[in-house]
Amino acid sequence: MTVTTHVFNTMGTTASLRFAGPVPSDEVLLQVEDAFAEFDRRFSLYRADSELSRIATGELTLAHSSDAVRDCYRDAMMWSHRTAGVFTSHRPDGVLDLSGIVKAAAIAAAGTILDTFGMPSWVLNVGGDILTRGSINGSAWRIGITDPDARTSLLCALEVQNPRQAVATSGTAERGEHIWRAPATSDTLVRYRQVTVVADDIVTADVLATAILAGGPQWCDDILDRFDVDALTVDDHGGITASPGLREAASLILG
Amino acid sequence: MRARATILGALSSIAVFAVGWQLGADGQQSETTTSDTAAGSAPTSTVTPSADAGSSTATPAPTPSASASETTTSAVSGTFTGTSVHTRFGDVQVQITVQDGILSDVTALQLTDQDSRSVSISNRAAPILRQEVLSAQSANVHSVSGATYTSNAYLTSLQSALDQAGL
Repeated sequence: MTVTTHVFNTMGTTASLRFAGPVPSDEVLLQVEDAFAEFDRRFSLYRADSELSRIATGELTLAHSSDAVRDCYRDAMMWSHRTAGVFTSHRPDGVLDLSGIVKAAAIAAAGTILDTFGMPSWVLNVGGDILTRGSINGSAWRIGITDPDARTSLLCALEVQNPRQAVATSGTAERGEHIWRAPATSDTLVRYRQVTVVADDIVTADVLATAILAGGPQWCDDILDRFDVDALTVDDHGGITASPGLREAASLILG
Repeated sequence: MRARATILGALSSIAVFAVGWQLGADGQQSETTTSDTAAGSAPTSTVTPSADAGSSTATPAPTPSASASETTTSAVSGTFTGTSVHTRFGDVQVQITVQDGILSDVTALQLTDQDSRSVSISNRAAPILRQEVLSAQSANVHSVSGATYTSNAYLTSLQSALDQAGL
């Protein structure tokens, strides 16, 4: 069985949707693309007419925004509480910015569409965050993790299968220091420059990757204790750590 | 439920108990003239109380499985089992062994998952060497996860190469 690929641009990045077997009908692909476009129209701060931009300027209040925006805001608040504010939905200047959760929410919505159409085996990669279903020729999908020191090289690869089907990576390599990080102090001598989290769903993976990147090693331990996820971290000095489950998943194809 | 905090809490409660027993043993010594060398040279407990000892809810319920020492000293001996606490690692329980008022052993019980397999209580990320993982080849993967890239950066990314190659 071969892999077929559908590539499209959305949310300022590029999405790659790969199927084990033939590409599905245009209707399926159109609905997937529409799902991303709708999230982008509502939430992008790069669009002056989006709801989030209108909230930022004060033209629209959160209370009068759409159900979709308020649902997303509620989820972002929940994650903020769960991570004691390490994951935040507000920029330092106070503007409500849900981009930390919107891309993952859009990936999840697109995944639901593919499930609804009965697509059994696919990999959806949007700007480096990945949701998968099924397998390829009876084997698990293999996901490479980029090396933050050499973006065209892989740090490692791992296999993902049900139920651990989501992989998200946060880092400072591609877009610069867009994520707030705790300053290095005597208690936090190590800062991460890239964090990958593997989880059952893409929102959890994405939010916790961001939270661990922002919070550093102390938060990594805490999050691994409290959430059923795995993590791979790369620090400022190039040191790598992996949680037991991820070490196992990686060794499956690298040992 | 935070497994680590729970365990630390349980252990710290035990530590408090153990210190109490050690004090009791010392007091016994000072009243009697016989010196018990074992108790006198009590090693410092290896269990360190954590900062949140006061908030611990896992108080060990003494269930002595050994009768009190046959000697005249009142120092406590026996095995004590803590309350079972449910965590995402499964039910966790701690058992301590006390000999003449001194904590001699701490054993974790019931560290099993739903399938009754033994599991590690620690899910912490541990260091790995680059050499352990560097053999990954991009040709062997179906998709690449990395820090968010722009549409422009995608063009020079590994993912783009994979998509074009159709691998």
